[in-house]
Amino acid sequence: MNETNPTEKIDEVKPAPVRTWQSRGRIFGIPISLIAIWAALFVAASAVPALPVPGMGGMITVNAIMTAISGVVLGPAAAVANAAGAIIATILFPFGAFFGPFSFVTSTMGGLVAGLTFANRWKLAGLAEIILLASWFVNPASWQPYMYLVPLPYSLIAVLVIFIKPLREWARHQILTQNKLWMWPALFLFASTGHAAEYLTTNSLTNWLYSLTWQYWIPTLPYWIGVDTVIIILATIVGVGVLIGLHRARLPHASDLYIQK
Amino acid sequence: MDRESMITVENLTHVYPNGVEALCGVSLNVDRGEYLAIVGQNGSGKTTLAKHFNGLLRPTQGTIKVGGKDASKARVSELSRIIGYVFQNPDDMLFCNSVEEEIGFGPRMIGCSKDEIQRRVAETIQILGLESLQDQHPFALSLGDRQRLAVACALSMQPEVFVFDEPTTGQDYFGGQRIMEIIDRLHTSGKTIIIITHDMQMVAEHAQRVVVMSGGKIALDAPPAKAFTQIELLEKLSLRPPQITRFAFQMGWTDRAILNIREMCDVIRPQGSSPIAGNNGRGGNHG
Amino acid sequence: MADVGYVQKDTFLHRLDARTKLVLMLAILLVVLVFTNPFYVLAILFLVLGAWALAKLPLNMVADIFKYFTGIAVIIFALQAFFYPGQTNLLRISNAIPAIGFSGYITVEGVMYGLALVLRLVVIMTVAPLLVMTTPMSDLMLALVKLKIPYRFAFILTTAMSLFPSIQNRAELIQQAQLCRGVGDFESGNFFIRLRASASILTPLILGAFRDSQILDVAMSSRAFGAPVQRTYLLESHFRRADYLFLAGCLLSLIVAIILRLAHFGVV
Repeated sequence: MNETNPTEKIDEVKPAPVRTWQSRGRIFGIPISLIAIWAALFVAASAVPALPVPGMGGMITVNAIMTAISGVVLGPAAAVANAAGAIIATILFPFGAFFGPFSFVTSTMGGLVAGLTFANRWKLAGLAEIILLASWFVNPASWQPYMYLVPLPYSLIAVLVIFIKPLREWARHQILTQNKLWMWPALFLFASTGHAAEYLTTNSLTNWLYSLTWQYWIPTLPYWIGVDTVIIILATIVGVGVLIGLHRARLPHASDLYIQK
Repeated sequence: MDRESMITVENLTHVYPNGVEALCGVSLNVDRGEYLAIVGQNGSGKTTLAKHFNGLLRPTQGTIKVGGKDASKARVSELSRIIGYVFQNPDDMLFCNSVEEEIGFGPRMIGCSKDEIQRRVAETIQILGLESLQDQHPFALSLGDRQRLAVACALSMQPEVFVFDEPTTGQDYFGGQRIMEIIDRLHTSGKTIIIITHDMQMVAEHAQRVVVMSGGKIALDAPPAKAFTQIELLEKLSLRPPQITRFAFQMGWTDRAILNIREMCDVIRPQGSSPIAGNNGRGGNHG
Repeated sequence: MADVGYVQKDTFLHRLDARTKLVLMLAILLVVLVFTNPFYVLAILFLVLGAWALAKLPLNMVADIFKYFTGIAVIIFALQAFFYPGQTNLLRISNAIPAIGFSGYITVEGVMYGLALVLRLVVIMTVAPLLVMTTPMSDLMLALVKLKIPYRFAFILTTAMSLFPSIQNRAELIQQAQLCRGVGDFESGNFFIRLRASASILTPLILGAFRDSQILDVAMSSRAFGAPVQRTYLLESHFRRADYLFLAGCLLSLIVAIILRLAHFGVV
């Protein structure tokens, strides 16, 4: 098997200037059928509780894993797919929706930031990430002692991946060329980016809606970092399997858009 | 043939969580080395019954013993050493990154040594003729190849009993034939075979015993030659014996069902002129 | 299309246009975020529960939804009661413990603010059913399209909703198949091993679904999805006088709420 084809050029394909029926059937280059299927997968994953939330009857569900890898599988279209899935999940499985009608924003942002980064649109991804960070740090609650620790360490990884060009390009390259070994750390970086964006949105919403203080966040912080690590590692395992499968079975996914033969 | 019992089901009842009673009081005994077909309409309970054999479903009432073990209590992973289950849709069974890895997965799970895994993989690949596909990704194979790979995955665990859920669905004639040849070979090598199907042609040509299910009960349990004489009962259950069987029945040759072309020839041809009197190994009701 | 959650009744709320109800939901959500005085929030909660009663929705469902959030409600309340920097002492608990930021007293302001946040939580959780349970899914989708939300997004929503049960079935079959292949992890007592097992279902599930999506793609193309024409709809929705009145009411309440808040009403 040859993972690396030296003749493959990694670049963005310019979108077709004319809107045809084919382009209307796509969002960010991804067929609508695929987005709908991903949304359905997301709903199904939202029915499976995975990890408890300290002090709550609600649960983090398997959809957190879906969100973390959505950006690499669908590109920016992941935001649309996750949003649709999460809206339905809020109606059907309220135990994972901590913010009622606002809940869908979290997985949408996760897909958006990771998807834009994977599409190499780092300026937009950076803008979204900065808005998220600002929404956390603007709230007076985050000025309490030690609260700056809460978005760490994974938001730090996200910022590095988005803004440090060599790192981002390296990670994209490993995934697009299906490097057998380096794909793993590369996907870990993108899964971290996606998950960190989701987690940060969740934190920020919690702050603005329910004003949880540092007396909640700081004691539970080790647990949260553990949760993030588990989710990101599982997402990496799932994601590598999915990407290899999609590539070798020649099924449509975001990488197709960024590789020019 | 020694009559060692492989699967014993007694008075098995299964009620799904949604209240649907899928099985009501089924009793069945399968001996080692049998070639059994479970037939019935959709929703007659045939898959529900088969999923009890390896513990995927647990009885609501009744007992079930598999290879001497109580299958209502044993873990599925334990029973999977005795029962190899091949799902209707091969895609449900495949999740590894290469054909080789896929076949080696089961043996690894049941704790085989590295050498043993390699030996089994090589052997299985050879039996199923998958040599040229070894390094392929399972999802990149054609449906027929995926189906063979699914059989390979069950085979490499070297179970005593094979359960095939609709093994020929979605296959063209030759694809189906190919799978059935493999199943016949497994049977010849001494394995117990259970096929879930509604393809009566296949039952007539391969199975030695037919269990007809209807409404969660066993409606009929006999060798095909006998079972297919009950045309009225079968038609009531929306099951149609093969055309040739119905033809013989219409002709009034009703003492025993004609199952295949060879048997029909034997009946039509003037006595004594048959060059091959009796068996050529396939079909027929030997045993 | 499955009408998930829809409870068919003939009430005033059921008859309102879906767009009106959508605006109503957003208005309530905004207003409830504006105030931090528990009495104001309580008034809004009574409005919501009144609407539940008006729509003849089962009120015990409120308890069902809230069941998942009782724990966090207690935490939200306790955090504010103990740690809110209030002026009016209500109850002395102990000496001040500066290490955890506790003054030693529970303050009136803290209790009030905590109550307001808990009531806000209840409102946020109970407002969505007002829309979802009184509107058939097809009307809701039509409303979204009429509000200029791209038809493609409405299509994604409805398709996902009708496809996910078959994906759940598929997931169960894959789990069974993996069990048959000797994966003992699903039956493991170890939480993390079980979690990893459910994650390992995802890979074949996603790959299989992506393969199926190609069939869906063909089906969509063959039905001219994306044809450059003005769509017409089987169902039409019309604004009636009640809808206009209701919308005006919502907007007015929103404006009044913001003015009140700017005048420092409704805060602790």
